[in-house]
Amino acid sequence: MSMWATLNRSVFKKTSTFFLAATLGTFFFERTFEVASVAIFESLNKGKLWNDIKHKYEH
Amino acid sequence: MTSVARAGHLAPYFKASSSVVSNGLKPTVVAYTAPEKVLVHPLPKTTTVQSLHGALPIQGLKAVAGGRGPSHVRFAHTDISYPDFTAYRRKETQDPTAKSSESVDARQSFTYLIAGAGGVAGAYAAKSVVTHFVSSMAAAADVLALAKIEIKLSEIPEGKSVTFKWRGKPLFIRHRTDNEISTEQSVPVESLRDPQHDNQRVQNPKWLVVIGVCTHLGCVPVANAGDFGGYYCPCHGSHYDASGRIRKGPAPLNLEVPQHSFVDEGTLVVG
Repeated sequence: MSMWATLNRSVFKKTSTFFLAATLGTFFFERTFEVASVAIFESLNKGKLWNDIKHKYEH
Repeated sequence: MTSVARAGHLAPYFKASSSVVSNGLKPTVVAYTAPEKVLVHPLPKTTTVQSLHGALPIQGLKAVAGGRGPSHVRFAHTDISYPDFTAYRRKETQDPTAKSSESVDARQSFTYLIAGAGGVAGAYAAKSVVTHFVSSMAAAADVLALAKIEIKLSEIPEGKSVTFKWRGKPLFIRHRTDNEISTEQSVPVESLRDPQHDNQRVQNPKWLVVIGVCTHLGCVPVANAGDFGGYYCPCHGSHYDASGRIRKGPAPLNLEVPQHSFVDEGTLVVG
């Protein structure tokens, strides 16, 4: 049985397992998405953020 | 058993009937077939003038009714074009000889995967919206920043009470002496108007933290004054002891102790 067949028969076919998989997937998706978004934002604003200029004001 | 009847003027009605409608050609030569099965006579061989005439569709319709067997026959409309759905079908199902059960997992899991990805994205979006609206009901960050006050305890000498402003109210921080501590610890609780032991009011016996608003009518008491060496309210003469408890005068309750914590040895955070 291929990977798709296993996935289809054990997860996707039943509504309960399908929703469970979607809910669990949301947790990981959320974490990944937000870390990626913050990384993009910080790379676009490099040099303007507090963490980049903190050493000038704190000692 | 086959019977043939002339029905020229009834032809339009036979079209919708369940009776078999022949192609209207006069059978001159009948090839042998199983009589039960063939309801439509085959085209005659057109070798003579008469058979040619009989083959022309000018005779009017003839109805042929068979006693048994399927009886629906349609004229040969070979020019009908059927739509081609190949472009809409999955590659796996285009071959009519291939078993669909062999490719069902691949096809279905792809569909479910797309639906699942949509569900994940939708759940994330819904959660973000709900979180956004719920957090808008919480206090704003600038309010929260002002809601706490950090106090360096080393600046308050022993025996002194210092006033700070906290959430728009005066806040008394009192560095108590050992003498005051032992006095307040030994006060019998039953004798008090608002019975509270000193241990219930202070976390660290050396430091008393109270809100400087008299519980009578809201005046600000004076520190290190009054009969009990704590606070004295000049408005109507309420006397508080060095634990902020009401001992004499009109006030009904002890001075309020706000939520506070000692972060480290020399720092107090109120709020």
